Amino acid sequence: MIDRPEVGELIATLRERGLLKSDTPLPFTGDNHRPWFVSLMTGVAGWFAGLLLLFFIGLTLKPDSSVMIFILGAMLLFAAWVMYRMDRETVFLDQLALALSIAGQCAVAWALLDDARSTFVIAGTVLLLQIVVFAIMPNRAARSIAALFAVIAWVYTIHFLLHPGSPESLFWQREGEAARTGFAWSLVGWLLTWGPLLAFAVYLTTRESVWMATARRNLARPLLSGLLIGLAIGGMAAYPLTWAVFGTEAIGIGMNWYALFPLLAIAMAVFAAYCAFQLRNLGLLGFAVFAALVHLSKFYFLYGTSLTWKAVIMSCLGVAMVGAGLLVRAKAAKEAGP
Amino acid sequence: MQAKLNRTELDELAEHYALEPEGVDVLLDLAQARPGRRATLDFLARVLRIGGVLSLAAGIVFFVAANWSAMAVFGRFALLELVLVACVVAALIKPPPSGLGRAALLLAFVTTGALFALFGQTYQTGADIYELFFTWTLAGLPFVLLARWSVSSAAWFVVLNTTLMLYCGLNPTGGLLWLVLGASHLEPAYILMGACAVNVLLWFAFEIREIPSVPQWVRRLVISCAFGFGTWAGIIAIFGDEKGAAGALLLLVVAMLAVFFYARHRRADIYPIAVVMGTFIIVSVALLGDQMNFADEGVLLITAIWLIVTSTVSARVLVAMARDWRGESA
Repeated sequence: MIDRPEVGELIATLRERGLLKSDTPLPFTGDNHRPWFVSLMTGVAGWFAGLLLLFFIGLTLKPDSSVMIFILGAMLLFAAWVMYRMDRETVFLDQLALALSIAGQCAVAWALLDDARSTFVIAGTVLLLQIVVFAIMPNRAARSIAALFAVIAWVYTIHFLLHPGSPESLFWQREGEAARTGFAWSLVGWLLTWGPLLAFAVYLTTRESVWMATARRNLARPLLSGLLIGLAIGGMAAYPLTWAVFGTEAIGIGMNWYALFPLLAIAMAVFAAYCAFQLRNLGLLGFAVFAALVHLSKFYFLYGTSLTWKAVIMSCLGVAMVGAGLLVRAKAAKEAGP
Repeated sequence: MQAKLNRTELDELAEHYALEPEGVDVLLDLAQARPGRRATLDFLARVLRIGGVLSLAAGIVFFVAANWSAMAVFGRFALLELVLVACVVAALIKPPPSGLGRAALLLAFVTTGALFALFGQTYQTGADIYELFFTWTLAGLPFVLLARWSVSSAAWFVVLNTTLMLYCGLNPTGGLLWLVLGASHLEPAYILMGACAVNVLLWFAFEIREIPSVPQWVRRLVISCAFGFGTWAGIIAIFGDEKGAAGALLLLVVAMLAVFFYARHRRADIYPIAVVMGTFIIVSVALLGDQMNFADEGVLLITAIWLIVTSTVSARVLVAMARDWRGESA
């Protein structure tokens, strides 16, 4: 904890109100708070370093069996765990541990999925792996990254549970092909995918004080961060599946009710922004707004036949939003009084 | 909307004093870590209004892009011009800083771009696409200046940087403006450094003048664009086969040092320094790979270690700076 006047004031007020169970003085340490863009930079660097380490180990040791690769991956994950455990304040060890953890995860996934032919099994295994990493890694950044990848893996797991396929379809399935399964079925898939995640995000955001009062805070905090980032960007990976962001393979399908899905993705990004606002997290708020704009681009590029329809939808939506915004502002002014 | 303490600090407090949920509720309220009903309503109202205006703007752009054949040329122009006039009238009736005036001028800025696009589409002027964006940047500037709003400023910078990307990044080698650079036979890395320089100079100007309509988040956008181009130029200079591209790298280093020392001197925001460090990491990794020629697997290990070391040192320096600067401002 950082020795700042605000902290002393807070503790004094809590003590006055008789809310402190423990009265031991707070151990003050240096302020090691990392702004979001520093975390982003170290996270991306850690990811690339991890992949390079994995390639290096693969080329140097040339493991020739899945068992060898698995053991190697497990060792890397164990090394990462030890580093995170050893010293939670040392940035160097954090970065090295993140790189080792990424390399270890990739190696374990590679070993487990070497012979897998079912996309459901592939996505489900990655989901389980991310859950395990989330549970065991004693580091907030590592847990947030694992939560984000777990969300993405969850999206694909549900998708391939409903639409089993081969690994090739993971990369080459076209939106148009997915769309042929029918709108109702697509909507069911969307609800199954995102419903639980949205409910979970609502629960974690509104019940923050409950889980903050227990040891669950160590899991819930990074889970909420990863979940909100996943909700903001996850619509890109959501059913109906599109290649990468709004891939060229998917461009040009006719305007129909499927246009609802990118709009729902925008709504999810806005919801993530709202939750970020509730958590006073400016970085996450900015990211969610950026994600909403990317979804808007997807909406523009994906449906190629009737731009007039798009114009009508966006204009009606715009008028409705401005109207709602004015109403909410009037309500806020009324509640504030003269 | 900044709380007194961040979530990590609040978690530590809750853990150390074993607070019950009621205690955590009080803690969050005292630390202003949860927005009240009024703040939430204000936030919702603002998001809905800004989102609504942007949605309307997107609707106009989509409409023009539709090349609606059912409408005559005159009708298409008349429609957009009516929207433009309506925006200007709305801004005159409720001038900025009123919300309506600002929103109307933002819409006018977007409509200006749509009007130029429609003009090019209808009369097939043969103009390169960067010329459309360049004209939009210039013609839309009065609306942005009058709006005095961060969202309009950000929109203008996005259009400006799209122009720079199309002009400097994609080398269109056509159009009237290309005559400026086309005849000089400049290497692409130098041209990209030109785009970087434009943004760096704008960033310096707005840092020094501190204009309210170009707040910190917009200046961050500008400096991100600057070093986006800078990093691109650096990578081209390293991997390209042009002679004399080292000069572009030198220019990049000068830009990085200038921004680094000025931001350190200002002691206001560590973001520009983080961007400079990010550029350094990416360009240095590219340089390392190029110099070692990816000869063997050892390069992978060295690059991984270099990434870990540089990102660690950067994070340490940035966190220390943020701590010191926050301490000074407290």
